[in-house]
Amino acid sequence: METKSRTLEITILSAEDLRTGNTPVKKNAFVVVSIDAFNSKETKIDGEGGSYPSWNDKLVMEMPVQTRFITLQVKYCKGSSSGGEKLVGVARIPVTDFIGGYSPETCLQYLSYRLRDAKGLKNGIINVSLRLKEPLRDCSSQAASAGGIGLGIPIDGPTDFGVVTGIPICSAYPPNAFFR
Amino acid sequence: MGNCCSDAGGRMAAVGGTAATGNQNDAVDLYLKSRGIHGIFSQIELSFSATDLRDRDVFSKSDPMLVVYIKERDGSVTEVFRTEVVLNSLNPTWITKYTITFHFEAVQNLLFHVFDVDTQFQNVEVKMLKLEEQQSLGEASCALSEIVTKPNRLLTLDLVRRVESVSSTHSQHRGKLTVHAEECFSSKTTAEITLSCLDVESKDLFSKSDPFLVISKLVESGISIPVCKTEVLKNDHNPTWKPVFLNIQQVGSKDSPLVIECFNFNSNGKHDLIGKVQKSLEDLEKLHSVKEGENLFLPTLVGHDYENKILKSKLFVDKFSETIQHTFLDYLAGGFELNFMVAIDFTASNGNPRLPDSLHYIDPSGRQNAYQKAIYEVGEVLQFYDSDKCFPAWGFGARPIDGPVSHCFNLNGSSNNCMVEGIRGIMMAYTSALFNVSLAGPTLFGHVINRAALIASQSLANEAQKYFVLLIITDGVVTDLQETKDALVKASDLPLSILIVGVGGADFKEMEILDADKGERLESSSGRVASRDIVQFVSFRDVQGGEISVVQALLAELPTQFLTYMRSRDIKPCS
Repeated sequence: METKSRTLEITILSAEDLRTGNTPVKKNAFVVVSIDAFNSKETKIDGEGGSYPSWNDKLVMEMPVQTRFITLQVKYCKGSSSGGEKLVGVARIPVTDFIGGYSPETCLQYLSYRLRDAKGLKNGIINVSLRLKEPLRDCSSQAASAGGIGLGIPIDGPTDFGVVTGIPICSAYPPNAFFR
Repeated sequence: MGNCCSDAGGRMAAVGGTAATGNQNDAVDLYLKSRGIHGIFSQIELSFSATDLRDRDVFSKSDPMLVVYIKERDGSVTEVFRTEVVLNSLNPTWITKYTITFHFEAVQNLLFHVFDVDTQFQNVEVKMLKLEEQQSLGEASCALSEIVTKPNRLLTLDLVRRVESVSSTHSQHRGKLTVHAEECFSSKTTAEITLSCLDVESKDLFSKSDPFLVISKLVESGISIPVCKTEVLKNDHNPTWKPVFLNIQQVGSKDSPLVIECFNFNSNGKHDLIGKVQKSLEDLEKLHSVKEGENLFLPTLVGHDYENKILKSKLFVDKFSETIQHTFLDYLAGGFELNFMVAIDFTASNGNPRLPDSLHYIDPSGRQNAYQKAIYEVGEVLQFYDSDKCFPAWGFGARPIDGPVSHCFNLNGSSNNCMVEGIRGIMMAYTSALFNVSLAGPTLFGHVINRAALIASQSLANEAQKYFVLLIITDGVVTDLQETKDALVKASDLPLSILIVGVGGADFKEMEILDADKGERLESSSGRVASRDIVQFVSFRDVQGGEISVVQALLAELPTQFLTYMRSRDIKPCS
């Protein structure tokens, strides 16, 4: 019986300096964690944190071995719960940042990422901690080779599997718009 | 500083209490004790208040902030501390306190400068404020011993325009600054208290109050000294604040009286007192266990006297827990090992080693060059903590005899083993390497940082109880800052600290970007941000001469970085 997915425990800790346009976010921020289009979970809403919300919300998700990215979307609710949500910023965590990196996969790792809004501009930082529940040897070797995940620490240093994070360039904006 | 995650920004943020990692640097204390330097120094906590400040703002009062500088023997001043900004007050009492080590045998000259922070910077964090953009409200200076020797340890100074100007006829009245010194005893027990209130009265006209708490301790002379304040909760008449951490001995003892005042926040700085209670930590613990509330009271003027009017608002203690904050030394005593690694800059900018003006010149008369001095002085301090006195040592930026430029080669010349024994081993490997490589460039740290990170990660995989410190001694500014940032961000979640010592006369301003204390968190080119600050940068010429200051400068951040790593993962020392 092959295991095609692994259990990821990800705790969304907090975020910093969230803005909509140029004003800081007032309240009701929350985070949507997605592994793919059908596999996503949301944190609770932080009603008081404003533009520096903290959740400390642990989510447990199944992560297929061929996953490349985990997407974090920070949103906030306007007014009442049915008032609609607005996207503040997105960050994508390449799986190679916590698998095959410096820390053992089952070890608790603290990671932080830059959030970018819909236009690609910097909009705050998000802090998470995560770990994988099972060590790699619980998965079948076929699943491991399919995902290209290495076992152990490479001699020359962690090898990148050619995963690239791209930031879209909007030509409509002046060159210094990206640097805040 | 250790943990980089910050809380609510601007003037509504919580202030004071005990830092999560404690104030005392016991790493420094232990090293000095080992040299026989006992008890001729003690930790002093300075608290500040001012009266009669000048009014600089047109429509409101000044927003004062105090900056403390240390005046060196040669006349130069270095900033060491900033208080928080108090809104709209000409008689501020600042809550953040400055901890300074008082050396009995040295004269420590302090310069105090009060600034009015412009309203446009209302939401900027204190450490990011540029002082050139603020207006000066006055300066004062004194020696630390003057404060400590006064009765009540209280010293009041007149604020003047410029401390150096001799013209005393210019009595530009700028108010007075009061400095109060207290010896700090760091107790290991910290109380974590979560407070809440029910039914807070509305002080604002059209909305509910914006309450926050200020906790003060009463000292023998009767004055109340604020210890900490919570964050402001907007528009809430049943507020529950984030937990406050109080070090038991910071407030005196468990039954010392504390005054907890509830204020309504006003952006003009005039916060209305809603009510207060007077309880000791012991009383708060009792309130928590019986799950009852205590009514706030408000001193109200009735006729000629003040009477305590009991309000219907109640204060509750939702959580009260005491935790033992283990110190850096507890971990070492419990078996944690500190391992040192050294990397030395062999780039051509150091100068030809055969010429006497090179930083790498080996003087036949035996006089140490800049690198040897740095290796010796820094190494002496650091190896005190290394358990086996055997360290990996590398060089970077040079071309070994038959090969291309290497940015991480073994200093001892071996192709598979990078270890050397003791400071002597580093010195010997260094001098022999000098004659076996040709200096090249550019100055890149990425390779040695990655190598160090690899060693730290292998130790993590083996579940060893080790913490690593990489010492990089360099003469110049790094060529590819982004590559270094990338390497640092990747390594920021490891049990690793990086200490960069700059030798020679270069301007190291750019290197200070790497130390998150002085700016923002490091960001890699792929969008990942450093989870914690693992870098400390020290310019060797700034700390030379004066054994004590070298130790302090080097070890300043190490205990905090170490403890942040341990505490965030809930790793406790083995007893």
